[in-house]
Amino acid sequence: MELLEKLEILANAAKYDVSCSSSGSTRKNKAGGLGNSYASGICHSWSEDGRCISLLKILLTNYCIYNCAYCVNRSSNDIPRAYFTPDEVAKLTVNFYRRNYIEGLFLSSAVITSPNHTMELLTETVRKLRNIHNFNGYIHLKAIPGADLELIKEAGSLVDRMSVNIELPSASGLKLLAPQKKQDLIIRPMDYIKLQIYEHKEERKISRKVSHFVPAGQTTQLIVGATPDTDLNILQLSEKIYKNYELKRVYYSAYVPVSEHPKLPQISQPPLLREHRLYQADWLLRFYGFRAEELLNESQPNFDLELDPKTNWALRNLHLFPVEINRADYETLLRVPGIGVKSAQRIIRARQVRAVTFDNLKKFGVVMKRAQFFITCRGKYGGQISLENKLLRQYLIAKPKPIQHSSPYEQLSLFNESVPSIPSEVMLSNLTGEL
Amino acid sequence: MLVYIYDGSFPGLLTAIYESYYRREKPEEILAQDQWQHTLFAQEVVIKTDEKKADKVYQAIKDKISGFAARNAYCVFLAEVPGAEMLIYNYLSRGWKLGAKLDFHLADEAVLQVHTVAKKVRQEAHRMLGLVRFRLLKHELYYAQIEPDHNILQMISPHFARRMADQNWIIHDVKRGLAAVYNQVEWVLTPLERPKTISLDETGLFYESLWQKYFSSIAIKSRKNLRLQRSFLPKRYWKHLVEMDESRSRFAESSVLSPQSPVKTYK
Repeated sequence: MELLEKLEILANAAKYDVSCSSSGSTRKNKAGGLGNSYASGICHSWSEDGRCISLLKILLTNYCIYNCAYCVNRSSNDIPRAYFTPDEVAKLTVNFYRRNYIEGLFLSSAVITSPNHTMELLTETVRKLRNIHNFNGYIHLKAIPGADLELIKEAGSLVDRMSVNIELPSASGLKLLAPQKKQDLIIRPMDYIKLQIYEHKEERKISRKVSHFVPAGQTTQLIVGATPDTDLNILQLSEKIYKNYELKRVYYSAYVPVSEHPKLPQISQPPLLREHRLYQADWLLRFYGFRAEELLNESQPNFDLELDPKTNWALRNLHLFPVEINRADYETLLRVPGIGVKSAQRIIRARQVRAVTFDNLKKFGVVMKRAQFFITCRGKYGGQISLENKLLRQYLIAKPKPIQHSSPYEQLSLFNESVPSIPSEVMLSNLTGEL
Repeated sequence: MLVYIYDGSFPGLLTAIYESYYRREKPEEILAQDQWQHTLFAQEVVIKTDEKKADKVYQAIKDKISGFAARNAYCVFLAEVPGAEMLIYNYLSRGWKLGAKLDFHLADEAVLQVHTVAKKVRQEAHRMLGLVRFRLLKHELYYAQIEPDHNILQMISPHFARRMADQNWIIHDVKRGLAAVYNQVEWVLTPLERPKTISLDETGLFYESLWQKYFSSIAIKSRKNLRLQRSFLPKRYWKHLVEMDESRSRFAESSVLSPQSPVKTYK
């Protein structure tokens, strides 16, 4: 099979993996080598769905022994199949990299023959890249659940980031849609990677000769909307993963209907807004000091699609507002709707030399549309309506009015073809003077 | 109206700032030679670039204000936006008074403007790290053309010297006729005219078609969102991206690139 054709099939098969980031690693180039990594990551292009392309994201193969209902690559699906040899992937990566198309490689695979065999192939590819091609760019490798931990250990010492996909938010969902996968089988490599990262870090404190182990940490991904799990379930799961396994990211992927299956929900569009709300909440967990049960609870287990999670939280906790911009501490500022990490830092900085005013806030990047109701500046409240007002929610949801084009009046123009629409008899009477 | 005219270089601008300080006068405008047109009422002062004076000012910025402020001033200079000189002048004037806390005065108009412009320049430099597209020419030379809004070539070149350390490359800012040339040891900045034609390597084209195929395959059709794509990747950059239709068939075959003598060498 032609390389071009293979690339098309295996890129197509890999596109539902969400992760694209190339951040978190500071691997340096070696003498005579190619590539390094850039701490904040670099995006190289953006595809038509608006997602960034940073890494060459491909599967080694899409031949799979599993038959998970939600997955395009399930063994019962009638699609073209292909596989790359480790050499082909290595060459492709290096050549794309030399042209600055990509930041590195994101290599995953369907499970061919057995988890061990697949993991062995993945590791061999990475080994070739690092040792033969002297490639020091970013590599993100999937750990295959069920593979020997020794194999995962070897791979981990070569790559920058590893991930194990949790796939579905609950064990019951997994049982329903992917009966061949078990949740504890997924958790095991995750736990192992966490321990290895910790051990290597400790050993590196003693000797710099010890290799890095997954320096950019591990991530995971789960599918949203394929099972009846609530947002609360999902968010609590993320919170647990962040805490127990020290993951860098949990990626959420709106379920794209790739197959018709009696056990799958019938939807025409992927639940993109829901996915967006989950990401917003995820950020609130990681950077804003929120806890999952503050954002959602049993009586409201799903996110409001009209309002973002933080504004929603603020509306339920009006007794905490308004806060004084010039006095509130950083943590409190972060909890104000419309204020983000950057603008909170700017406020803290600017108010050290001079009191901050409403005018300043807009320039600091605060979204005044939301923030105005929840803050005071030097004791003054600047909201259009007071916090107690019942219309507050409406004010926050309201979108800016589009410019009305269907106005009954129009601008007169000398060269307009259309004469003002005055009935002809009126015109005639105007001319003749007969009223 | 007092107008300072300098040679258009950064040391030239710093000399102008030095002169203004010691002559105790405030120019209403500072302009590069090629931007200046004689007018009846302007009192012109031609500033002669003096490296020593420029160094003194640069050192003073670092000592009396901060290294961050010095970098900001340089970024704004590279922005090549009209009026950039006076933005820098006003920013530094505030700086002499406020000292190290200058960049805390985010509400100050002079500071805010410099921050806004410097941010734009840094953002474009970062974006360009991803958007440079090398094409393989004959004789194992990787060649890329860019047309950035701001003069960011020297900001991005060290990155590529570290990363593509084992290949010969040229990044060519065709808008400004400026190129960064790297020979696996050091990179230099040199003037370079836009080549009429370039000779591509045959195997290089194969990888370009692979990349185009990859680019179209990786998008999820049911999530198509062209507006989002454009907001991340404005259309003015598409011309030099091989994966975009706009870039096809821009180059014909055969010609030689001839860099002139380098103006500056960086190790």
